[in-house]
Amino acid sequence: MKGSDNQEKLVYQIIEDAGNKGIWSRDIRYKSNLPLTEINKILKNLESKKLIKAVKSVAASKKKVYMLYNLQPDRSVTGGAWYSDQDFESEFVEVLNQQCFKFLQSKAETARESKQNPMIQRNSSFASSHEVWKYICELGISKVELSMEDIETILNTLIYDGKVEMTIIAAKEGTVGSVDGHMKLYRAVNPIIPPTGLVRAPCGLCPVFDDCHEGGEISPSNCIYMTEWLEF
Amino acid sequence: MTQAEIKLCSLLLQEHFGEIVEKIGVHLIRTGSQPLRVIAHDTGTSLDQVKKALCVLVQHNLVSYQVHKRGVVEYEAQCSRVLRMLRYPRYIYTTKTLYSDTGELIVEELLLNGKLTMSAVVKKVADRLTETMEDGKTMDYAEVSNTFVRLADTHFVQRCPSVPTTENSDPGPPPPAPTLVINEKDMYLVPKLSLIGKGKRRRSSDEDAAGEPKAKRPKYTTDNKEANLDRFHQHFRDQAIVSAVANRMDQTSSEIVRTMLRMSEITTSSSAPFTQPLSSNEIFRSLPVGYNISKQVLDQYLTLLADDPLEFVGKSGDSGGGMYVINLHKALASLATATLESVVQERFGSRCARIFRLVLQKKHIEQKQVEDFAMIPAKEAKDMLYKMLSENFMSLQEIPKTPDHAPSRTFYLYTVNILSAARMLLHRCYKSIANLIERRQFETKENKRLLEKSQRVEAIIASMQATGAEEAQLQEIEEMITAPERQQLETLKRNVNKLDASEIQVDETIFLLESYIECTMKRQ
Repeated sequence: MKGSDNQEKLVYQIIEDAGNKGIWSRDIRYKSNLPLTEINKILKNLESKKLIKAVKSVAASKKKVYMLYNLQPDRSVTGGAWYSDQDFESEFVEVLNQQCFKFLQSKAETARESKQNPMIQRNSSFASSHEVWKYICELGISKVELSMEDIETILNTLIYDGKVEMTIIAAKEGTVGSVDGHMKLYRAVNPIIPPTGLVRAPCGLCPVFDDCHEGGEISPSNCIYMTEWLEF
Repeated sequence: MTQAEIKLCSLLLQEHFGEIVEKIGVHLIRTGSQPLRVIAHDTGTSLDQVKKALCVLVQHNLVSYQVHKRGVVEYEAQCSRVLRMLRYPRYIYTTKTLYSDTGELIVEELLLNGKLTMSAVVKKVADRLTETMEDGKTMDYAEVSNTFVRLADTHFVQRCPSVPTTENSDPGPPPPAPTLVINEKDMYLVPKLSLIGKGKRRRSSDEDAAGEPKAKRPKYTTDNKEANLDRFHQHFRDQAIVSAVANRMDQTSSEIVRTMLRMSEITTSSSAPFTQPLSSNEIFRSLPVGYNISKQVLDQYLTLLADDPLEFVGKSGDSGGGMYVINLHKALASLATATLESVVQERFGSRCARIFRLVLQKKHIEQKQVEDFAMIPAKEAKDMLYKMLSENFMSLQEIPKTPDHAPSRTFYLYTVNILSAARMLLHRCYKSIANLIERRQFETKENKRLLEKSQRVEAIIASMQATGAEEAQLQEIEEMITAPERQQLETLKRNVNKLDASEIQVDETIFLLESYIECTMKRQ
């Protein structure tokens, strides 16, 4: 650090303290009480000396946080496995979603076909998050290393799709895949009702429903959606 | 009564009973209970016609009356009862599956006529059945009576409230309108009629009066029967629960749940949140004959049902091999929620459905968290949340950080209130059915000329066949309807059927939502 004056040393110290979360330039200004122009000059200097680097935050794409050069940025800044260069990877998530669902579905199918007593049938249709994680890793569709928590977030989206249900059981410490004495088990399920009656009629899906009344521009008598539906 | 409900009631009354009854009925629904003269004055119809219209409405249980002080009789319309008229086809079909053609015709007669005495029903049904049977065979009255008694035993048919017989006759003039009472125990009693006879030949051993019960005759033979709609609703609810279990688990579990529901049919009232506890031994004894599963397997199924996240079945004790109850309120709530989710999915797409279920599960959640949990890019997630918010499927809860409620310093949490979303959807269902009925009437009106022509041709053909005309002449008459016209008629028939079927399907949604709303309101 020879050749830098006290101000630079101060700024470097502040950035080092921020660890791998990085620190915003305005925060550096508050902490060091230096004027903005000075800060910018110092930051440019340090960057050219390859002592710090700027990382774009995924939360606010205009914000740049500074951290030491050789540190790995924290997950909250880069977004973790689902973001590559600030872009949310929707297709990647979709593919993983479908793969996990297929795995659970086939497991449930084999359990159903085995026709043993119901308790065994049901227990064998469950898969723990560890099993799903191993299956996905073996598939090798992900370039990035995925942890078990990542797989659990994908499985949660399947729960919100209504395709999968989850139970938590107590597992002994030390069994494979248990975290803090519980294990999460997942199972593919069917929806409990078929698509409801209202959505089978054109009115259930009509975008101009509120404007429709007899004698108006849009009315049941001249409804084009109904005409199309009747010709089906 | 909302505007949509009133419109639907007016369409139904007009279709089933005609203009005058519709005018009176809609007026009563709009204005609440009113005396006779006020009705006549406000609607501008003559007193005579109002009396006849009210007669029809009272006969069909659509209007009730009450004597107020100063001897004024006021009439009040039951809007919800009018809406039940949409469900008549479903009631009749259910009876057909349970009690075959005889039961179906009995319930049909009762629904079409409002109230009838047992002997009248039996006669009419026997006549109708005899017409459809081969020549020479006739329908025995006894068979029809047996089916009637069975219907009454399972509570599908009940006695109407009647005038109480007074021990000492009143010295003064009779009250302007009788107050009808019915004893709880007598609701399902059936008179022991000895009806000798078969269809088409009337030789019954007792005379029956017209619809009105009279105080002078003994109670039994002139009592009216009506269809017990609540019992039908209970049956539909049970059906929905059983099919939900079949979809989520397997056939055997759904049979077990059906057995449990059948055992609690008579013992549990329709609005109870739980059925009576049933022991596993009882369930084992009551399983249908075809199912031979061992006791242990049954116990395993019951445990699985009780542990399932659906929570339809709960375990309430351990005596008798385990006591199990069916959680009716939770079942209805799950079915209503599934209906809401299905509507969101079809209207907005499956990603929106994912967000909707996420908010349902988390109860209250911030926008940022929605993006994280649902793994949907931020812009799209925002768009979908706002869309659902504007359609009233979701609502916002504000939690201010500072007393001045500044927007930048408040938390905004998304939440789903199932009850209000269900009400909103119900209103939409009513309007949809009104639209479907209007379209059906429009289609029929458009082709009125063609329909009349085809009716005339059919009448001519029938009369010519009766007088024994030749084949060539019949052919000539038939050709009066050209081929494109015939096709038009075919299209019309297909469209009307489609619209009709659609009405019944929307009514299924209405049933689930209404049951849920009723059940929740009773609990509060």
